[in-house]
Amino acid sequence: MKNTLRQVFHSSKFVAGFVIFIAILLLLFIYPLINPGNPLEMIGVGTFAKPGTYVSLYDAINTEPETLRLSDADDKRLAKQLSMEDRVAMIEWFDAMGIAVDFDMSDTEALLDLWDSHYDPATKPKGMTQAKRNYYKRLNNALQELKAGDEIIIAESDEAGVLTENDTVNKTDYVNVNAVANVKVLPLGTDNFGRDVLKELVSATGTSILIGLIAGAVATIIGLTFGLLAGYMGGIADDIIMFITNVFTVIPGFVLLILISYSIGQDQRGASVVALVIGLTSWTWTARSVRSQVISLRNRDHVNLSKLSGHSLVRIIMTDILPYIASYVVMAFILQVSSGILSEAQLSLLGLGPKTTEVPTLGLMMNWSMLYSAHTNGSWWAYFPVILTITLISFSLNLMNTGLDQVFNPTLRD
Amino acid sequence: MKKLVALLLSLIMVLSLATAVAETVELPRNETLYFAGQQWGTVNSWNIIGTNQNNAMAIAGGPSGYRTLMFETLYMYNFMDGSMKGLLADGDYVWNDTMTEVTVKIKDAAKWSDGTPVTANDVKRTFDIGVEIGNGTGTGYKAYIAEIVAADEKTVVIKAAVNADNVPVNPLKVVDFLSGAPIAQAAWIDTVAARNNNDPVAILNDPGEDVVWSGPYTKYYADDQKVVLVRDDNYWGQDESMWGKLPVPKYIAHAMYADNAAGEVALKNGEVDVCQQFIGNVQNLWLEDGLPISTYYEEAPYGVCLTMPTAWYNMNLPVLANNVALRKAIAMAVDYDTIIANAMTNQSPSFADVPRSLMNPTAGEQALYNAAEVAELQWAGNDIDGAIKLLDEAGIVDTDGDGWREYNGEKIALNAVCPNGWSDWQASMEVVAAAGAKIGVEITTLYPEYSIYQTVFVNPNQTEYAIFMWSPEAASPSNPWTRVNQFLGTEYVGVENNWSGNWGQYVNEEADALIKKIPTTTDAEELKALYTELTKIYLTEVPSFSLMYRPSVFHAVNESVWTNYPAGDDGRNIPPADCTDGYGIAALYELELVNP
Repeated sequence: MKNTLRQVFHSSKFVAGFVIFIAILLLLFIYPLINPGNPLEMIGVGTFAKPGTYVSLYDAINTEPETLRLSDADDKRLAKQLSMEDRVAMIEWFDAMGIAVDFDMSDTEALLDLWDSHYDPATKPKGMTQAKRNYYKRLNNALQELKAGDEIIIAESDEAGVLTENDTVNKTDYVNVNAVANVKVLPLGTDNFGRDVLKELVSATGTSILIGLIAGAVATIIGLTFGLLAGYMGGIADDIIMFITNVFTVIPGFVLLILISYSIGQDQRGASVVALVIGLTSWTWTARSVRSQVISLRNRDHVNLSKLSGHSLVRIIMTDILPYIASYVVMAFILQVSSGILSEAQLSLLGLGPKTTEVPTLGLMMNWSMLYSAHTNGSWWAYFPVILTITLISFSLNLMNTGLDQVFNPTLRD
Repeated sequence: MKKLVALLLSLIMVLSLATAVAETVELPRNETLYFAGQQWGTVNSWNIIGTNQNNAMAIAGGPSGYRTLMFETLYMYNFMDGSMKGLLADGDYVWNDTMTEVTVKIKDAAKWSDGTPVTANDVKRTFDIGVEIGNGTGTGYKAYIAEIVAADEKTVVIKAAVNADNVPVNPLKVVDFLSGAPIAQAAWIDTVAARNNNDPVAILNDPGEDVVWSGPYTKYYADDQKVVLVRDDNYWGQDESMWGKLPVPKYIAHAMYADNAAGEVALKNGEVDVCQQFIGNVQNLWLEDGLPISTYYEEAPYGVCLTMPTAWYNMNLPVLANNVALRKAIAMAVDYDTIIANAMTNQSPSFADVPRSLMNPTAGEQALYNAAEVAELQWAGNDIDGAIKLLDEAGIVDTDGDGWREYNGEKIALNAVCPNGWSDWQASMEVVAAAGAKIGVEITTLYPEYSIYQTVFVNPNQTEYAIFMWSPEAASPSNPWTRVNQFLGTEYVGVENNWSGNWGQYVNEEADALIKKIPTTTDAEELKALYTELTKIYLTEVPSFSLMYRPSVFHAVNESVWTNYPAGDDGRNIPPADCTDGYGIAALYELELVNP
C-alpha cells in the first residue's frame, strides 16, 4: 500500500492534478471563514455590478479628509468628463448648427465657453437622431458638473425642508480607504440577483463537487456490483445483468437524464436528488469494463484455489478479485465524479437542474447568467469564472486519472 | 482527373444550393422599416374575421390599441391621454342620454382596397358575422352590444345590451369596440361565407388570401423566415380628411427570430429598427456600447408602464383563503425594489414613486382614486418587522421550533410559480421566496413549462399553484374598470378555462356590487369614491399583490436608417406603441431617413 502510494505520488501528472484539486478544496473551506454569510443573499439592488472595490459614499463624506495637492488631478478629472471623442462630437454639433469654430479642439476653455453660449437641449439640428441628441444632453450635464466650482456643499434638511449648509467637500480632499467604515470588495462583482459572485461561486463549487461525489459513488457502486456479479458468476446471471446494462447503454444517457429530471418535477429536485439521478443513469460503462476485467481474473489459479477451499462468493469477490481491479475502480470513480459535475452543469443550463433558492450550483449560476444574457451584455464575471472552475475541476480530476493510469497500466509504464 | 471532376461537380452542387437559399426577397434598406419581437412562427392566415391567424403585423389587437397597418378600426386609441382619434370614423362618437346608443359617422373618403367606399353596413356585417361564427370580435363584445344598425350609408348606430331595467350592461365595453374591433368589408364577408357554405368553423379557418383591406399596407411576402407588408399607394388615408399623406416606409418587414436574444442582437446590429422586446439594462446600449438606439424616455423607466404583473394567491387553498394576515405579511415582506432593479432593470417606477393601488402608473388612472385616503394601507415592501408582527398577532407562529411557521399545526409550505424561461418573472418569484424565508414562511419556487402552466392556472379548481403570476389588463377605453374587475370581480370565479381574470378565485360580494356600479357612473366624484373604496378593499384583503409596473409594449428604436421616432419630450403626443398600434401608427407618417 505504502509502496503504491509512493509510486502514485511520483507521477508528476497525478501530483499536478492532486494539487489543483486540493487547492480548490482548501479554498472551499478557507474562503467562507474570511467572508462569512449566506451566499444567496442579494446584497446588490440591480444586476451585474462590476468587479471592484466599493467605498460607501455616505461614510466617505463623513470621514475626516486629508488635503493632497496633486498636480494632475484636474487633468484626470477633465479627461474623465470630456474625452477626445466628446470634443470631436462637440465640434460636430457646432458644424450642424452652422457655428464657426475658430480655435483648436484642445483649447478646453474656449470650447466650453462656446458650448455654454450656444447649447440648448431643445434645439433640434436637422438630420440629427434622437440618440445623438440624448448623447449631447448627457454630455452637457457632465460639463455642468465639471465647471461646478471647487467645492461640493453638503447640506442637511430640517423638518420644514429648509437646507442648512453642513460641510463642504473640496477638490483637494482625500480620504484613506482604511478610514472609511464601509468598504466592500467584490472581486467578481455581483450576478443578476445582486449576489456576491465569488462567495456564490465558492459555495456552488462545494455543492457541485458534492453532487459529483454522490453521483460518482452511486454510479461506481452500481456499476461495480453489476460488473463483479456478471463477470464472476457468468451464465444466466451474466446474461440478465448484461441485458439490463445493454438496454441502458443503447438509450443515450443524457436523454434519459433529461427525461427523468423533467418527470421528477422541480419541487422535488434537490441537489442530492439530481446527484442520485445522474448516478443512476451513468453506471453502464463501469459495469461493462469491470465485468471484462473480472472475466480475465476469474480463472486465475488463486481464484480457483479459493473456490476449492470452499470460500463463499462474497469472500472470493472481496479478497481475490476486488483488490486486483481496485486501481481501475478508483480511476473509474474519478472519471464518474468529473462527468457528474459536468452533467449537473448541462442539466442546469437547460433549466432542469436542482431547484433554485436553496443552494447555488455551478450549473444554476450559468443558467441564470444565460437567462439574463450576461454573455451578450458583457458581464463576463457572471459566467466566465464558473466555466473556469468547472474546467479546473474536471481538468484536475482527469489529470489525476491519467497519472494513475501511468502507474497502474503495465503497457504505459516507463 | 476523376477526382477533379468529382470536386467540380460537388462545387456546382454546393453553389446551386447556395443560390437557391439566397433567392428570397431583397428589400431596399432605406425604404424598409424592420421590426422584432412581434411575429413568432409562420403566418397562418390573412382572414380578418378568422381565428388563430398568427399574423402579428397585420392582425393584432394589443393592449395599446389595434394594429391598423392593414385593417382599420373606427377610432385609434392613445394610451398617453386616453383619447380616441377617428380613423374610419368622422368626428367624435355621440351617446344618447340614457347611454343605450352610440352614433358614429364614417368618413366620406374611407375606401376599401377595391375602391368601394367603407359604409355603415360594413361595420354591422363585421359584428354580425363575429357573433354568428364566434370570432374574437363576436365573443368579446356580444355581451355588451345588442345590435349594430346602419342608419344610413355613413351612419352607424351601436345599441348597447341592456338589463331588465333598461340600463346598459357596460357602456365602457361598447367604447372598447370602437377602437378594438377591426372592420371587414361586408361584400368580402359574403364571399367567404358563401364559399364555406356558412359553416362557422370553415369560415374561421379560411386562409383569406383574397381579403379586402382598408389600411395603408397590404401583404407582400410571407414565409417561415420573414413577413413583409408593402405600402398601398392608393390608400384612402392620403385624403386631407385623414393623414393628408402616405406613411413613409414603403415596406414593413419582420424577420422570424429564434428568441429574444436573437432579436436583441439584430437590433444592436441595426438590422432591426423597431424592437418590441424586453431588453435588460437597455441604457447600456447607448451609454456603454454607444449605439444609436433610444427609447421613448431617455431616463428610467424608459417607457410607459401600463400594466402590473401580479402574484395571485390561490383561494382554493384554505391556508391562504382563511388568513388575510398571511397574505398581507408575504406581500409586505417582498423586496419590490430588488424586483424592479433586477427583473425590470429599473424599467418601472418603484412602489414608493407610485404607491400600489388598482391603477396603472399613468396620470389619467392615478387621478381616478383618492390616494391620501388609502395611504395608510399602501406598502412599499421589504417590511420584515411589520410582516413578522402581523403574523405573530394573527397567531400564525412557529410552534415546533423548526424555524417555519405553522397553521393549524401544519407547517405552511407554499410554492411560487411562473412559466419556465420567463426570466424576469422567475427572478421575481425568487425574491418572493427569499421574503418568505425572512418571515418564517416556507416558499419554494416552481417553474413549469408554459404549455403546462397555461393549463393549470386557468383551471378554477386547481390547488397545485399557491402563489402564481399573471398580468391584468393594461390600457383601453374600458380600463381601469376591466382591470379592477379582474382583481376583485366575481364574474370569472368558477369559470372553466378562465383567461379573463380573478385567477385566484377571490370572492367579495361588497366589492362586486361596487364594480357593477362603475360602468354606468358618469359623475367624476362618484366614480372616484367608488374606485377609492375598491382600492381600500383590495389593499385590506390582499387577494393578490402586484410585483412591478411594466410597459405592455416595449419600444426601442435603432436610428441607423430611420429617425424622428416618437419620444417623450417631442410634444407630438404619439404613444410609444411600436409605430403600429392605435394612435402610435401616426409615427409612420413622420419618420425621416437619417441619410436621405
